[in-house]
Amino acid sequence: MKEFLIILFSAILVNNFVLTRFLGLCPFLGVSKNVKTAMGMSYAVIFVMILSTVITWPIFNYILYPQDLAYMQTVIFILVIASLVQITEMFLKKLIPPLYSSLGIFLPLITTNCAILGLTILNIDEGYSFIESIVHAIGAGVGFMLALFLFSGIRAKLDYADVPRMMKGLPIALVSASLIAIAFYGFKDLIEQLFG
Amino acid sequence: MTDLIFTVLFIEAFLLPALIGGGIALGMGIIIMIAARVFFVPVDEKMKKLVNILPGINCGACGYSGCEEYANALRNGETDDAGKCPVGGAATASELAEFLGLEIPDFTPQAAHVFCHGTLQHTSKRFDYSGTVSCAAAHGLFSGPNSCTYGCLGFGDCAQACPYDAIYMADGIAHVDSLKCTACGLCVKTCPKLLIEIIPKHLNTYTVKCKNKWPGAQTRKNCSIGCIGCRMCYKTCRFDAISMDGPLAVIDQEKCTRCGECLDVCPTGTIHNGLMLAPDAENHPRSSGLHLWVDPKIRRKQAETQKNAAKHDE
Repeated sequence: MKEFLIILFSAILVNNFVLTRFLGLCPFLGVSKNVKTAMGMSYAVIFVMILSTVITWPIFNYILYPQDLAYMQTVIFILVIASLVQITEMFLKKLIPPLYSSLGIFLPLITTNCAILGLTILNIDEGYSFIESIVHAIGAGVGFMLALFLFSGIRAKLDYADVPRMMKGLPIALVSASLIAIAFYGFKDLIEQLFG
Repeated sequence: MTDLIFTVLFIEAFLLPALIGGGIALGMGIIIMIAARVFFVPVDEKMKKLVNILPGINCGACGYSGCEEYANALRNGETDDAGKCPVGGAATASELAEFLGLEIPDFTPQAAHVFCHGTLQHTSKRFDYSGTVSCAAAHGLFSGPNSCTYGCLGFGDCAQACPYDAIYMADGIAHVDSLKCTACGLCVKTCPKLLIEIIPKHLNTYTVKCKNKWPGAQTRKNCSIGCIGCRMCYKTCRFDAISMDGPLAVIDQEKCTRCGECLDVCPTGTIHNGLMLAPDAENHPRSSGLHLWVDPKIRRKQAETQKNAAKHDE
């Protein structure tokens, strides 16, 4: 149980995918203009992260690794994740239309996102078991959601701030993103303090 | 011997990865093909046509979250009112009704209307505002720099929100070019002072162009054209079209017969006749109506001279 908690919290706070590992910066800057779309995107990311972990972990450990084909993981993972999201999209469109209309636009956006691929490869590199990988996926997704939620709130405030002309738009967004990343650096020793 | 080693190497290094990779790809492809069959959602031709008839700006003025939702409601029979889209106007309404076999609704064209004419000449500034050029931001700072805190701030948030370029800023307040306005209602949502309303598009519309809830004396101090709540129009109206919302007169557009009697008695000139037109229209800016607004003092003087002249004639 303790290991699961360590994995979960370190994925959310210490090794936050966006702010510490710098993965998935494209949606972080792209869909953080308001809180509503940011949350929609985050739900989709959590969903796809868990789904892709469930699929890629067995593929690696039961097909690729025994055949000594670990070097094929990038190609195979991208292929599998992309087609999986495609199927999920069809599934949702047919059976759960409300969920499709809220997640629908975001699903294709994240199929080949580096945060998703990074997560599946990290699961393998860290040598997590199947359950641990899923916990890690949940943590990574929630961490992504936390970062996106904080950042979209700050960007909504930024709209009303008197920003110098040269800093308007993306520059000030990147500066504030870096400041949040510094804030997250403060969590560095959290896990050791809590569970150490 | 070398041949054998080479063959084994070839199989190990190239053929196996290619087979596994290709196999997974093929498997995924087949699963997607099956899924596409199983989860096939037929595209509705009727729906497509309905969406094509609607303007497609997804403003939400019809009460649905977008054009597609409205089309969906029409198709499923949730509503049989084809006249809900103010943007498309009468043309869209009749086209929809014709396509669905519904009754052609009598469509009243509507337009947005800014309920304030406290221009720079009528109001003053309480302080110099040099922050972000945005009504929402200025509103956040002590309700904005205007002497009347209910009035138009004039930073043009509504003009920016307008997809039809129908709002322009002049004399420190917003004006709606009612010819361009489609009554989509996007500006209504952006105004932090809640000054914009959608009213019937009629060139002879009478409106109390004020939203302030101050008592009369305070209004007079801050704006020379604001409603002071004197109830003159309320008493004059013979059709019960004017009601008092506290110290503010409100004209009910449905009951109003456009007789214009209230305009004559208003001592401050708050009541306005006609909708606003573009800046290049004749007699801009408050001129669209049949009944032109004249300063009450001048009007009284004119009336007196007329009376005197009549007396003189006797």
